[in-house]
Amino acid sequence: MTNTNQRSGDSSIDFAELLERVDNDRELLLDLMSIFKEDFPRHVRELSDVVAARDIKKMTVVSHTLKGMLANLAVTRATSAAAKLEQLGREGGAESEIAEAHRAFQREVQGLLPEMEAYMAEVQR
Amino acid sequence: MKILIADDEALSRRLLEKTLERAGYEVVAVENGRAAVRQLCQSDGPRLALLDWVMPELDGPGVCREVRRQQEESYVYMVLLTSKEAKEDIVAGLESGADDYLTKPFNVDELKARLRTGERILHLEGRLVEAREMMRFKATHDALTSIWNRGVIMDLLGRELMRSQRESACTIVLLGDVDHFKSVNDTHGHLVGDEVLQEIARRLLLSIRSYDFVGRYGGEEFLLVLNNCKPQFAEARAEDIRRIVSSRPVQTLAGPLNITMSFGLLLSDAWGVRPVEELLHEVDAALYAAKAAGRNCVRVAKPPVEPDLPMLSVREPIQRSR
Repeated sequence: MTNTNQRSGDSSIDFAELLERVDNDRELLLDLMSIFKEDFPRHVRELSDVVAARDIKKMTVVSHTLKGMLANLAVTRATSAAAKLEQLGREGGAESEIAEAHRAFQREVQGLLPEMEAYMAEVQR
Repeated sequence: MKILIADDEALSRRLLEKTLERAGYEVVAVENGRAAVRQLCQSDGPRLALLDWVMPELDGPGVCREVRRQQEESYVYMVLLTSKEAKEDIVAGLESGADDYLTKPFNVDELKARLRTGERILHLEGRLVEAREMMRFKATHDALTSIWNRGVIMDLLGRELMRSQRESACTIVLLGDVDHFKSVNDTHGHLVGDEVLQEIARRLLLSIRSYDFVGRYGGEEFLLVLNNCKPQFAEARAEDIRRIVSSRPVQTLAGPLNITMSFGLLLSDAWGVRPVEELLHEVDAALYAAKAAGRNCVRVAKPPVEPDLPMLSVREPIQRSR
């Protein structure tokens, strides 16, 4: 069995930090990941919609929510990408900057769900 | 201890819920600011709260403002959870009435330590409220009998007389004096005398309705204010009270003692608008008549003529020793 505390360095998730955050409670971890799997895609879709609609106020709120979710699961790089979008929303960033930050965010979260599912499978084994 | 978590984001809410349950808290979790205010403003609601800054309907600082405005009964210790790190945001959060803030994602040990600080403050507040209530009790109650003291029963009498005039109702004023109390003290000592007074106060309290008042007027004198009474039953009620007091011996350190009381009775509606001290003088005269009639009885203060005097006022009542 793979040691779930030690994963490759290019992982999106800081598993060591995540386990510390849940006090090594695997049951809670699976619980959180299930919530994430259910809620995260909906918020990502909503973000794309509001960016496309240039609804900056809504974009700020959605990217704030995503930032919180990602930070709770120690998904560090994607957290920073969401934070960047939120900051641009608050500071009234240029349209091109927002589009670029949005693309960067999408790149960061692209493989996130499969990675999480693989980890969940490991934890449950 | 009960704690409220308000966070619209399910993942964060679950993480906090589990972390705090593990730390021994009884957790109440809500997903918006309005629900948080409702919970925190309940009389038995949580006194410790973790509030997310950004929430639908009402944000964290909004919850703090509402709770500070509505909840005057008990202090609520509120910690804002925020990913905002700008100093002006923090200042705005604290100025809304929050006690502390914590940056997300939180560190479990830091969270617990900050909540312990909150608990210490709530504990201190609880002790202060308890001390204030004790002082309030001491300032309003007679130290020996724990019924209303003279100052309070006089205020209550003035208030009830005004009200009965305003509502054209009748208040019964009963002034009672323990018969031969001096001989109880002389024969058995003051400790036994105190026991008698305590038991008399207890019996008087049991003899009245929950919304009537009884206070210690002087040494062995008790003043009863019975509001909203039917005048035709006044004498019967006074007789009932007298009988309850003397119904069985008072158990004391010196053994059982047969104790009786004499009462002066006054019906406010028969006296119209009179100063309180005049009414007290009249009821005291009726009590004196009860004493003269052999004690252990009730005598009614009857007005000589139809009265028409100005406003009531409460001043130092007359003193008479028996």
